[in-house]
Amino acid sequence: MAAVAFVSVRSATLLGIHGEPVDVEVHVGSGLPGFSIVGQPDEACRESRDRVRAALLSSGLPWPNRRVTINLAAPVPHRKGGSGLDAAIAVGLLVVQEVLPPGVAASHAFIAELGLDGALRGVAGAVPLAAAVGAPRVVVSRTDERQARIAARCEVLAAADLGEMVRCLRGDEPWPAAARAAEDGCEVRDEPDLSDVRGQPAARTALEVAAAGGHHLLLVGPPGAGKSMLARRLASVLPRLSGDEAVVTTVVHSAAREPLPPGGLVVRPPLRSPHHSASLAAMVGGGTAAMRPGEVSLATNGVLFLDELGEFAPSVLDALRQPLEDGVVRLARARTSVVMPARFLLVAATNPCPCGEGSPGACRCDDRARQRYLRRFSGPLLDRFDLRVAVSRPGAADLLSRQDGEPSSVVAARVAAARATAVDRAGVLNGALAPAVLDHVAPLDAAATGVLRRELEAGGLSARGYHRVRRVARTIADLDGEPDTVGERHVVAALALRAPVHRG
Amino acid sequence: MDDAAFAAAVAEVAGPRQRLALLTRSSPREAWESLDGSGPRCDASLPERMSERLAAARCGVVWTGGPGYPHLLADDPHRPAVLFVRGSLDALASRRAGLIGTRAATAAGRATASLLGGDLARAGVTVVSGLARGIDGAAHRGAVSAARDGAVGRPFAVVACGLDVAYPREHAALYDEVAALGAVVSEWAPGTPPDAFRFPLRNRILAAACEVLVVVESREAGGSMITVEEAATRGIPVMAVPGSPRNASSAGANLLLQQGCAPVVGADDVLVALGLDHRRARSAAHRPRPEGDDGEVFAAFDGGALGLDGVMLATGFDLPRAALALGRLEARGWIVRSGAWWEVLVAAGS
Repeated sequence: MAAVAFVSVRSATLLGIHGEPVDVEVHVGSGLPGFSIVGQPDEACRESRDRVRAALLSSGLPWPNRRVTINLAAPVPHRKGGSGLDAAIAVGLLVVQEVLPPGVAASHAFIAELGLDGALRGVAGAVPLAAAVGAPRVVVSRTDERQARIAARCEVLAAADLGEMVRCLRGDEPWPAAARAAEDGCEVRDEPDLSDVRGQPAARTALEVAAAGGHHLLLVGPPGAGKSMLARRLASVLPRLSGDEAVVTTVVHSAAREPLPPGGLVVRPPLRSPHHSASLAAMVGGGTAAMRPGEVSLATNGVLFLDELGEFAPSVLDALRQPLEDGVVRLARARTSVVMPARFLLVAATNPCPCGEGSPGACRCDDRARQRYLRRFSGPLLDRFDLRVAVSRPGAADLLSRQDGEPSSVVAARVAAARATAVDRAGVLNGALAPAVLDHVAPLDAAATGVLRRELEAGGLSARGYHRVRRVARTIADLDGEPDTVGERHVVAALALRAPVHRG
Repeated sequence: MDDAAFAAAVAEVAGPRQRLALLTRSSPREAWESLDGSGPRCDASLPERMSERLAAARCGVVWTGGPGYPHLLADDPHRPAVLFVRGSLDALASRRAGLIGTRAATAAGRATASLLGGDLARAGVTVVSGLARGIDGAAHRGAVSAARDGAVGRPFAVVACGLDVAYPREHAALYDEVAALGAVVSEWAPGTPPDAFRFPLRNRILAAACEVLVVVESREAGGSMITVEEAATRGIPVMAVPGSPRNASSAGANLLLQQGCAPVVGADDVLVALGLDHRRARSAAHRPRPEGDDGEVFAAFDGGALGLDGVMLATGFDLPRAALALGRLEARGWIVRSGAWWEVLVAAGS
């Protein structure tokens, strides 16, 4: 019957946040009718047999009643997961049955799942998958069309179902016009606004400093003080993501199959707030053969908010240390290893003690109980927080006052200006300044030096803490409109925002 | 076998009431013989083992009616029949003031307790307390450091567990220092764990050992209030250190003041209550009150504790301005930093 018994169709599967090109080799030969997939498919891949068959039959296309062997060939052998190979398998079967011309397989790649009714469906990681294929054109589902364009290096074509795709590939009808990319300008700003926060001047200042300098922030306060409320508003004062940042964040979100904004591109800094029952794999990634990105990666270029820090498993918290230091998370498994971005601003909230009140006089815990509570956080982790600030319950007068707090837009403007100052001066945000350049970038005046010397001599400051205080003081000075020398008032403010966690 | 071993054996197997009943009527040897074999723990070798444990714990024993039993307890109807002692009971021969309070103390409360403990020791007064966390420990620390520097007053501690069981553990070193300079006593044999029910019993001995009892910081209910009641039934005057009405840790002390207890704002008040000479130089009397920004920030405290938020809200200062004022006040000893909060250390009037 068929002249062509073999064809290779291009597609891709996901590993971490990267697409891995995969050639779907389809062979149809004589023998008992049967269908097998080889080349390390996972369960979802194996099931494509049933989906492809049903989709072909529903679309009125033929199914070969012969012996079919599918091989998933990749330059680097790895376990192939997901259902994105469905379309490629279907096309391969149609080529060997001469429904489609052989040239189709050479010039197109296919990334889509098939529904039983023949519909083309979206897949996890459309952005990185489309970027990975090496064909001049890639065919995806309508759902994935916009996402695929974000990082694709080739022409992106989209079809609604298998029938339409076949007609277009045969040249019977033209490809439907590309969906118009939604304008970035009409992004929906449904983030909560800082104007909702009444009172709490210290916490607001800390939030502003954290946003301006990229300093990690720990909020300590009783239940009901509004720690979560404050933290959730941090993303609203951060500037829009730059082009590269937006692509990286979008790739991660796509790979994790997180909902993307209507425009396809994530342009606002993401805010991730995993519940404290989060597992290690949920936090740093991995867990499946496809190595799904974890919360640290999803928070890339945004905010990772850990509410009730003390309730997280210690192993999960300690796993944050490497990403905090390196800005990436490296996961190694027996079969594979991946590197995923994880450059985020860490904001955590905790009660100060078991009774939750914390402030001297109101707290009912004795010293020992307080120490035991705080021992849950490892010293190295606490050390990563440049800003540690107590949040108190707002007073009745603040809550009842009609006067809104300063809105996010005003704070965001100051933050953007301070960030620009910092980046112009040193190329990085103040939170990332190396100790070696501090003297050059953040010179102290005499009074400021005196304050820090007294603090060091009194033993209130470690060497690492000293550098952190100087970075925070640099940011406070930038916000204060003093881009040159750091003064006493800035250093003292930085020290005030670095409360010792333990009550003496 | 000496009487001490028999007294210790009686204390090991009999409760405080039974001990008292037995030892007021008979000698330790007779008391033990009346108990011997009466229960599973009363075997004949117990006095000998108790003797070894006393030696190991380096503690002595006094019993009611026996040599060395403190006179001031002899007439108490609920006196401890047996007292285990580390150190010297001579401390009870001088004037005695009790300093007690909550375990969940504020930094300011601990500072006050420590200051009072030191000043009283320097005035030659024995400082009686319970070596618990918080106020008790601070009072003893003050007394110990004063006694180490040559003060006449001694620290004296009544504890609720065996003398070889340091509870709380972080006070183990303080136990040793108190025992070396003064004495640590307990009515429980060495090895007895610090069970909750022993603390109220301990408090009656603590109260009985004082001539005047000062509550530095206490909640409305708690061990300190039990001690206060024990003192009241014995006619021992109770005094209290006033605290901010907004400070829950001072609620009990303020309640006592409302009920007519005399206030204590310095060691002088205690010395007056003891009828001692209190004419000493007042060091803090003439320093200038905080002014300007500092004054505004200090006034905002209103005697209590405030976080950075509270200071900024009350004064309307921005962060650097508030932080500078707080730093100056702290450097001059008006306030003290306690975690993320600041507390007033010195009343502005003094």
